[in-house]
Amino acid sequence: MTSGDGLGSLGSIIAEPGSGSQKTLTDGSRIAVVGAGPAGSFFSYFLLKMARTMALDVTVDVYEPRRFCERGPAGCNHCGGIVSESLVQRLATEGIALPDDVVQRGIESYVLHMDVGDVEIATPIEERRIAAIYRGNGPRDSEPLDTHSFDGYLQQLAHQRGANLIRRMVIGVVEEGDRMRVHCADGTSEVYELVALASGVNSRLEEDVEEHSRQFQKPARTKTFICEFKLGRDVIQETLGPSMHVFLLDIPRLEFAALIPKGDYATLCLLGDDIDEGLLDQFFSSPEVKNCFPGGEIPMHVCHCSPRINMGSAKPPYADRMVMIGDCGTTRLFKDGIGAAYRTAKAAARTAVFHGVSAEDFKAHYWPLCRKMDTDNRIGKVVFAVGSLVQRSRFARRGVLRMTTLEQNQSARQRRMSEVLWDLFTGSAPYREVFLRTLHPIYIKDLVWNLVAGNARRADKTKGADGRDGEGRHGPH
Amino acid sequence: MARLGKKYSDGEVIVRQGDKGNCMFVIQQGEVDVLANTDDGELQLRTLGPNDFFGEMALFEEEVRTATIRARGATSVLTVDKKSFLGGIHEDPSLAFRIVQTMSHRIRDLTERLARYERHE
Amino acid sequence: MAPTDPSGRDGDEQQFWIRAQQLEKLPPCQAECPNTGNVRGWLGIIAQRHKHGLTLEQAYDRAWEELARRNPFPASIGRICPHPCESRCTRGDKDGAVSINAMERFLGDWAIDRKLRLPLIEGQRHTESIGVIGSGPAGLSFAYQMARRGYTVTIYERRIQPGGMLRDAIPDYRLPRKLLDAEIDRLFELDIAVIRGVELGKDITLQELRDRHDILFLGMGAQGARRLGIPGESGPGVMTGIDYLRRRKLGMNMGLGDKVVVIGGGNTAIDAARSAIREGAAVRVLYRRTKEEMPAAAHEVDDANIEGVEFTFRSVPTRVLREDSLVTGIEYQCRQPGKPDETRQLVVDTVIVAISQEPDWQGLNLSRDGDKWLHTEEDGKLADDLWAGGDDRGPGIASRSVAQGRIAAEAAHARLRGEPRPQPVRRQVDAGTVKTDYYESQGRSERLRRPQDEWLEQPEEEIDLTISSEEACQEAARCMSCGLCFDCHQCVMYCNAGGYSPVENVEPGHYFSLALEMCEGCGKCIELCPCGYLEAREEQTLAAD
Repeated sequence: MTSGDGLGSLGSIIAEPGSGSQKTLTDGSRIAVVGAGPAGSFFSYFLLKMARTMALDVTVDVYEPRRFCERGPAGCNHCGGIVSESLVQRLATEGIALPDDVVQRGIESYVLHMDVGDVEIATPIEERRIAAIYRGNGPRDSEPLDTHSFDGYLQQLAHQRGANLIRRMVIGVVEEGDRMRVHCADGTSEVYELVALASGVNSRLEEDVEEHSRQFQKPARTKTFICEFKLGRDVIQETLGPSMHVFLLDIPRLEFAALIPKGDYATLCLLGDDIDEGLLDQFFSSPEVKNCFPGGEIPMHVCHCSPRINMGSAKPPYADRMVMIGDCGTTRLFKDGIGAAYRTAKAAARTAVFHGVSAEDFKAHYWPLCRKMDTDNRIGKVVFAVGSLVQRSRFARRGVLRMTTLEQNQSARQRRMSEVLWDLFTGSAPYREVFLRTLHPIYIKDLVWNLVAGNARRADKTKGADGRDGEGRHGPH
Repeated sequence: MARLGKKYSDGEVIVRQGDKGNCMFVIQQGEVDVLANTDDGELQLRTLGPNDFFGEMALFEEEVRTATIRARGATSVLTVDKKSFLGGIHEDPSLAFRIVQTMSHRIRDLTERLARYERHE
Repeated sequence: MAPTDPSGRDGDEQQFWIRAQQLEKLPPCQAECPNTGNVRGWLGIIAQRHKHGLTLEQAYDRAWEELARRNPFPASIGRICPHPCESRCTRGDKDGAVSINAMERFLGDWAIDRKLRLPLIEGQRHTESIGVIGSGPAGLSFAYQMARRGYTVTIYERRIQPGGMLRDAIPDYRLPRKLLDAEIDRLFELDIAVIRGVELGKDITLQELRDRHDILFLGMGAQGARRLGIPGESGPGVMTGIDYLRRRKLGMNMGLGDKVVVIGGGNTAIDAARSAIREGAAVRVLYRRTKEEMPAAAHEVDDANIEGVEFTFRSVPTRVLREDSLVTGIEYQCRQPGKPDETRQLVVDTVIVAISQEPDWQGLNLSRDGDKWLHTEEDGKLADDLWAGGDDRGPGIASRSVAQGRIAAEAAHARLRGEPRPQPVRRQVDAGTVKTDYYESQGRSERLRRPQDEWLEQPEEEIDLTISSEEACQEAARCMSCGLCFDCHQCVMYCNAGGYSPVENVEPGHYFSLALEMCEGCGKCIELCPCGYLEAREEQTLAAD
């Protein structure tokens, strides 16, 4: 068994415990998990499952003051709420079902809205593999009759596995001899052999950890914007359908905007470089956005927030007897955060159970995954930068639109652009793969052709009343 | 009806014996019958329910489907494609654990049935 | 902002940017207390002691000080108050109101045991002379508030012992006299003198007292009892409730018979009934309305039942029956709804009348309500040099008398010093802004009592016991701190913008400051704040003020 890179080797499942360090989990070990978002819940779930296969009797205490069954921001975990294709499939393989009251909508296509036109990109196969979920229990004022929070559901799974859910707020994690002490807001504290930080990037806990540590650097962050609109199930079915609506608009600093239908509500998610009031104004004034709402009027939202997202990994996302999972460690850039949380959580659990809990153990068996994600994110930044160029250039937009529309209309051909866009929007493939696809000669050839054709023919077409070209489909379906 | 996956109505064939396949299926809601075509007709091997999977052999081999899977009542089934699965296993081998465990149960079950059958011959 | 008027929201615009503000509000317990006691404050000192580096004992000492700022005899009040504060406690709907009454009693006993001093307002000394008529709760409260502000106070009490109704009308098994003594004596550590055996109107006139003192407070109470006005009432064997109770406490033999009837439904009637039972008599209470309508505290009525007092409701006495001037029975009308009145008789040898209190002082020549009660301004003012408070303004509970004494003192002091009276006007916490689900469930401390079979065996011993220190400390932690920060950390932890920061010098109720320029208007902190301390500001944009 190689101790360096635990990936790609079946031998990493069956490892010699304690190889490389003296700090391991033994019978009676106590583990604290700070935060019961997806990272914390997945970590607890898998750690307990794996510990059982090793006949290891450990205690897992999950600290989370919220129960995610309250409506509005208090119970919410502030996120667009998309479970990517890859994660849905992995969870299905793991035997973790997503019940109907958790899945608000199965998504089967993306509709790309640009000023030059719209195009719908359907899933490669005829089925809904993307789940739109509520991280909490729905927005303020919603009736939670048939909704169940995703985070709440995962918390339940962890609890069923044997995790203790402790409703206390953690305000500090400090070394104490050879153990870690977890301090709570109510003055109590407990000692653990391992602390998994899954507190995300919107809590002040990591700042506190950073202050107390010489080496640790918390993740880089940027501000996003999320809000919910109440439109009613029928209206949503009519205007948005089972599609996620993505907007590629020429607004500076806006990287990505999506409108996601869920039951009676639609979640709007804006990602970019510090979303502020001016950017929001521009966004809400765009006709492409307005046309997605009934009557072309955007109603007042029922709740909103500006959560931060992770833009650069914590360095390092581990220490002796401590590991950072989920957003507070390393995550994927912009997309599939929940999937990234699952992967880092499981890798951390694997390391803790089968190798050890020292910094060396995490460096050897956990960090490689994080580093892989980091590298992929760097490529992702390049890809999104190119995407930004497309957003800024009408020339480019027309080319992309034409290429995608033609692909969708002709089912026989290979849908290279569609697949690139699909993977980019859904986060279901690594950015490296997306990037490599864009380097494929046929892709480049087709793109160049469409750039020329899409812009040359423009002069012959009459413009529509709203200034749009005649090409492309308008609105969903 | 479940919100994820593809919907099939009662009696609809999801996978046909002899077809080429490259994905696995996980049942979201409903039930399916696993049927083997023999010279004497269709033999029902088993029935599967929610959270069960089938067609997993296609992930490991390049062979054709070994059985026909038919929906029993309205059913919703999620596809797990080869690329996604193998990519996942590459990063995290333990993902295959549950598959291997179930396959081992099925081998045990089939071995017993075969033994009984051969005894009767 | 592009978002237009929302549909289906009754026409009112919802705020887009919901910025927060920290605003202390009045909790329901304090609003309901006749003395607006700072319950949340003194409970918070105990519950939040770890954050201020206090030991449990130190916390109790400080809590006592805070409590005593408004109430100098909590051990006594804690034993007799019907605790309206608890009826409004937000925790009531969750797992039981905080046992505020038991806590008050605990701190009162604590202070007596540890001989703690009453808190003075330091550094003040004034030359004006203050006079007080009556040493009941109102008079004593007024005297205390003036003395702690640095005035010399003289109390004129007609009886030998101070205390008013606290001493006269409350039996020992409810308020042991040694406790009352301890609390009253403690008051005399301040510059308060009592002149005993001086009665207004008889030994001294109002004008003389007004000449003698710069400020005079009238706290004469209303120890007179209303008479039934029925035939046979006059004569031996019929006595008023207050008379009976007072003389019994003084050790006088009232000539109580074996079969006693008590007329009335208030606490005096119940006290009289339970005292008579302790003397071995068979006792029945006649009340003109139903059990639910009895003004007496419900648990007192239940206790009376346990001790063997019988009750007859919807009954109005019409005649006292006598033979050779000794009481032989009482005739009464039984009024059942929907049926004609029935006349009945009860064989008794003693009648105790405890229906209502009346003033028993004369000739003050002051404005009176309906010719009976003193009619003052809201703060008790009758004239620039004259204030009044307590039962002489109309009957009420002891807490209210304490409050009126205090409010009058604050007003008199302000007048003497030429200062405006401080008017802390705080909005009450909105019901529903306290998120009771946030707090962990914990039942209230059990009411500690002596075993029932011992009650009558040791008739003068207290029935209720004081809770222990562990229970007190647990009970204090149950306070939800409605309307004031208690350092739950939710706002600071969940603010995306990092707008909250801990303050340098923490105090109970004051832990975080909000930097408004960083607020992003998401309203999360307001939703998360469990005690309702944070609320939305009135504004429509994110522009800095």
